[in-house]
Amino acid sequence: MNRYKSLFTALAAVVLGLLAGAVFMALSGSNPVAGFYYLFRGGLMNLERIGNTLASATTLIFTGLAVAFSFKTGLFNIGASGQMLMGGLTATAIGLSVQMPRIVLLPLIVLAAASAGALWAAIPGFLKARFNVHEVVATIMMNWIAYWTVYYTIPAYFKGTFLETESRRIPALASFRAEWLTNIFRGSYINMGIFLAAAAVVVIAIILDKTTLGFELKAVGFNRHAAEYAGIHVPKNIVLSMSISGFLAGLAGATYYLGYAVNMQIGVVPSAGIDGIAVALLGANSPWGVAASSVFFGILHSGKGFMNAMTKVPPEIGDTIIAIIIYFAATGVLFTRLWERLTRKRSKEA
Amino acid sequence: MKSKISILLVGLMVVLAIAGCAKKEAPAAAPSLKVGMVTDAGTIDDKSFNQGTWEGVVRAGTEFKLDTKYLKPSGTTEADYLKEIGNLYDAGYKFVVTPGFKFETTIFQAQTKYADAKFVLIDGSPHAGDWKSVVGPNTVSIFFAEHESGFVAGVAAALQIKTGSFGFIGGMEIPPVQKFNWGFQQGVDYANKNLGTKITMKAENVIYQGSFDNVAAGQQIAASMYDKGVSVIFAAAGGVGVGAINEAKARATAGKTAWIVGVDVDQYAEGIYSGDKSIILTSAMKGIDVAAFDMIKAELGGTFPGGKTLIFDAKNNGVGIPAKNPNLSPEVQAKVAEVFKLLQAGTIAVKAEQGTLIK
Repeated sequence: MNRYKSLFTALAAVVLGLLAGAVFMALSGSNPVAGFYYLFRGGLMNLERIGNTLASATTLIFTGLAVAFSFKTGLFNIGASGQMLMGGLTATAIGLSVQMPRIVLLPLIVLAAASAGALWAAIPGFLKARFNVHEVVATIMMNWIAYWTVYYTIPAYFKGTFLETESRRIPALASFRAEWLTNIFRGSYINMGIFLAAAAVVVIAIILDKTTLGFELKAVGFNRHAAEYAGIHVPKNIVLSMSISGFLAGLAGATYYLGYAVNMQIGVVPSAGIDGIAVALLGANSPWGVAASSVFFGILHSGKGFMNAMTKVPPEIGDTIIAIIIYFAATGVLFTRLWERLTRKRSKEA
Repeated sequence: MKSKISILLVGLMVVLAIAGCAKKEAPAAAPSLKVGMVTDAGTIDDKSFNQGTWEGVVRAGTEFKLDTKYLKPSGTTEADYLKEIGNLYDAGYKFVVTPGFKFETTIFQAQTKYADAKFVLIDGSPHAGDWKSVVGPNTVSIFFAEHESGFVAGVAAALQIKTGSFGFIGGMEIPPVQKFNWGFQQGVDYANKNLGTKITMKAENVIYQGSFDNVAAGQQIAASMYDKGVSVIFAAAGGVGVGAINEAKARATAGKTAWIVGVDVDQYAEGIYSGDKSIILTSAMKGIDVAAFDMIKAELGGTFPGGKTLIFDAKNNGVGIPAKNPNLSPEVQAKVAEVFKLLQAGTIAVKAEQGTLIK
């Protein structure tokens, strides 16, 4: 029953978000029907655009899973951006300096990048477990450390021939883009990360629902003290949860910088890290929900430009409309939760 | 059970999409040219590159009654840029203007992918990532002689201030910014040698901040330069330059002397601190808008110079200082116009390399 409820919540939130977007479109003097028509057409009208939508969704699936996973343990990993940056930096470093067969190189990159992300998240996890430093503060700080580490490392060791601000182009050997995949999707920049993302959804779902580890992690999330009383080692689980969360964000970094992008630029905090929070909220922290809401956000991201091109909606308003849809879609869940909690309390009191 | 959530959500999207596809679009009404632009990092009103390009596009749009549109990519990766070009193309905008070197690899792909569209790449040349320029038959690559622009601004500033110390704040250390710097130093030097000014430029007052968006850093660097006795700062630094302008405005409001030489476009209006008084001494301009306008005009006239790389310099009035400079005396302006003529005639040659210059 509960699962149906979260489905309806998510759908209601999406509808609420779209309605809010429609109101805004109407306010800015455009026809919402036409606006949404072009928005969805822009995300889905041909194979290339579907590929692009999936490419946008790939990164969001990873960051969404990262945030959702830590939520399950009662942790708020707001540092997916930083973990993504470290994963991306590691992947870029290997991609630009190691020469070996693709079949060995790509798994190596994936593992190294994910480990870097895991390590980056383990630090705030340890601080939380050992010293009770709030993970929100710690992960935000880690984001900036990652940002400036990239800012220093790329120009110092991996800069291009002329540009100080971005790394050299990733060679085809180390890229997650594959010719056959690009051809299927008619020249889209979709990359093999989508398969990794799909696998991650399944693996995380299994970990959470079918393993002792998942049970322990969730128990810590539900009630830390009860879990401790039940003999679960809470600090270990906190560090582990953050590490797995960071592992996923690290994968986001590898597939984003070596698949979606063709090099790594400095001075940019990847917005996917923050969007991951909205994805997780809309997906009710379930891996399957995250996958679905990532595709939805992917459509919004890749359809936005076409909506702008076909209607009189200026790009800045277009961004605002997308932000409003995301905002309502995400907070809708919160509102329903709040309402649920209130009704539950009332029924207990009665 | 949970998978049902996703199935239903995806189902909803598919329904929405099919509902969308079912409706047929109205056939394009007029076959007239539709001109699109994709912005670089930053906003359309950045008082610099994006704005300059867009102003040229809009001017052409009003003059020739064209449909114009700009799109703002959500990121600065090649994929983001390519996506917006695709959006413009699919919406019928088959003449696309892109400002900035960051579009080089994007246009390289777009020029073959959208072979029936025309591309104007300002400040860059298409290449595959290997810096081997390949300008397609449907693309025009445009460069500016920034060193000549900086030179003229340097001469003008030196003539107006006569004695003192000048500084330079650059954004990223990339060729267009470096050429502004080198040209400016040569301009100051020329004025010292030939026009009797006594301006010094110290190495410590030539700084590349390293970004185009750190406003606070720009303000700090400008403050420390002014404190060291610098009277004029040439800020070729985007948002960093905005910080320098803010610092100069604060000082001018407090009654102190602080000048800025603007960049890319006429920045006079940005430097106004009271009434119509501005701290912008003059601006080292690049005719970005002229370039965009000219290319659209050429396309309409059937003379689009596809496959070519064009240089906008003093000779074709592609660079220089603004026509109106309220902070320069009429004598100075007349003198600068003379120097500009010599530059056009080739009597004065400005180097585009560092040589013995600072940074």
